[in-house]
Amino acid sequence: MGVGLSDEENRKQFAGIVVPHLSEAFAVASWLTGNRTDAEDVVQEACLRAFRAIGSFAGANARAWVLTIVRHTAYSWLAKNRPSEIVAVEDFLGEERLTEQCIGGWSATVTSTPETALLAKLDVRRLEAAIAALPLAFREVLILRDLQGLEYREIAEVTTLPVGTVMSRLARARRRIIGAVRTTDA
Amino acid sequence: MTNDSTRVPDDDSQLVHAYLDGELDPAHAIVVARKIAASPALAAEFEQTRALRQALREHLPPRALPPHLRSRIEAAVGMRRRWTRRSWQALAASIAIAFVLAGGSTWAVLRPAAGDRTATAVLDGHMRGLMAPHPTDINSSERHMVKPWFNGRIPQAPRVVDLAQEGFPLIGARVDVIDNTPVPTLVYGRRLHIISLSAIPDEGSAGGAAARRSINGYNVVSWRENGVSYWAVSDLGIGELETFAQQFRKAPAG
Repeated sequence: MGVGLSDEENRKQFAGIVVPHLSEAFAVASWLTGNRTDAEDVVQEACLRAFRAIGSFAGANARAWVLTIVRHTAYSWLAKNRPSEIVAVEDFLGEERLTEQCIGGWSATVTSTPETALLAKLDVRRLEAAIAALPLAFREVLILRDLQGLEYREIAEVTTLPVGTVMSRLARARRRIIGAVRTTDA
Repeated sequence: MTNDSTRVPDDDSQLVHAYLDGELDPAHAIVVARKIAASPALAAEFEQTRALRQALREHLPPRALPPHLRSRIEAAVGMRRRWTRRSWQALAASIAIAFVLAGGSTWAVLRPAAGDRTATAVLDGHMRGLMAPHPTDINSSERHMVKPWFNGRIPQAPRVVDLAQEGFPLIGARVDVIDNTPVPTLVYGRRLHIISLSAIPDEGSAGGAAARRSINGYNVVSWRENGVSYWAVSDLGIGELETFAQQFRKAPAG
């Protein structure tokens, strides 16, 4: 239980700090685990952890605090149930360079219009598949930024990554999705 | 700075993303904007990333929190999500005893003011909307479609305004029943969040400043205007919900 707080006070704290972010916690857990059922388990476990730790919440950013716990719980869950998802990021970088060479990076000959139009009327299922196919390390940054709207430093706080790494992973994640859409389309 | 327009240094490319995300300080933003203007490759990355961001924001269906999960979590930590009618009655009975025993102030805590009852009813409508396959009975971002839809369903169509420019696109509308009265509810979006705005006829009430409440983690902002009391409910932060209320109030009537 929280440090020196009664259960009643803990519950009150929990209602004010954690409950308002449950929807977002669930959305993040869904994207990290890839399905709703697993997300429910992760969110419930995360909430119990948050409740036990509620006395240690420092009061700066409740949303980031909650999402940090959700992410941590999702990682533990994945390590236990789907260890293959947790792969060192370095393993992706080599592969990525290769891919980029294949698709020619951001070639100026590929002018913006066709792809911009393509993305704008993109099939939702294809977009979701592209996100699901992202390695976890990239997916989480993309989700926190582009779906949940966190700022870079909030993402850094949640993921315990340096801001520069957040920035580079986000760029990579977005490129991968654009690349995937382009490839599937061809 | 690069003059090679077909390969772009990774750093520049990342800065394009940070620029799009509004994460650069003004000085760097200017530098990056110039680089984008000078490099077709960077411009392509800029355009495609912007399109992707928009597609992600607008086209992905929200991962809505299942209501039973909320109840389960609140039960797990010893909270109740909301008072059901039955638990109210049970509680009223047990409190009646406590009241006799302890006397005094308990009633003040228990009996909700009329406004709180409305807030709870409006929240119920919002929750029902979230549980349904769609939070709306009519899906349209076009206010000229939404307003007529209410005709024949409720006595008076509500004021419908378009707030897409302000970042609160109109998603649609539904009819909620509050205090046995059908009430028009407009549904707006904010990123992946949903805002329900119910307009309840409230004659004789003057305009007034907005009031805020928080019920079970949902924020509720309410205000009165021209004989209507408006109730906005969302899981958005209170700041953003109040911004929504301000934008709605100051938008020209539709």
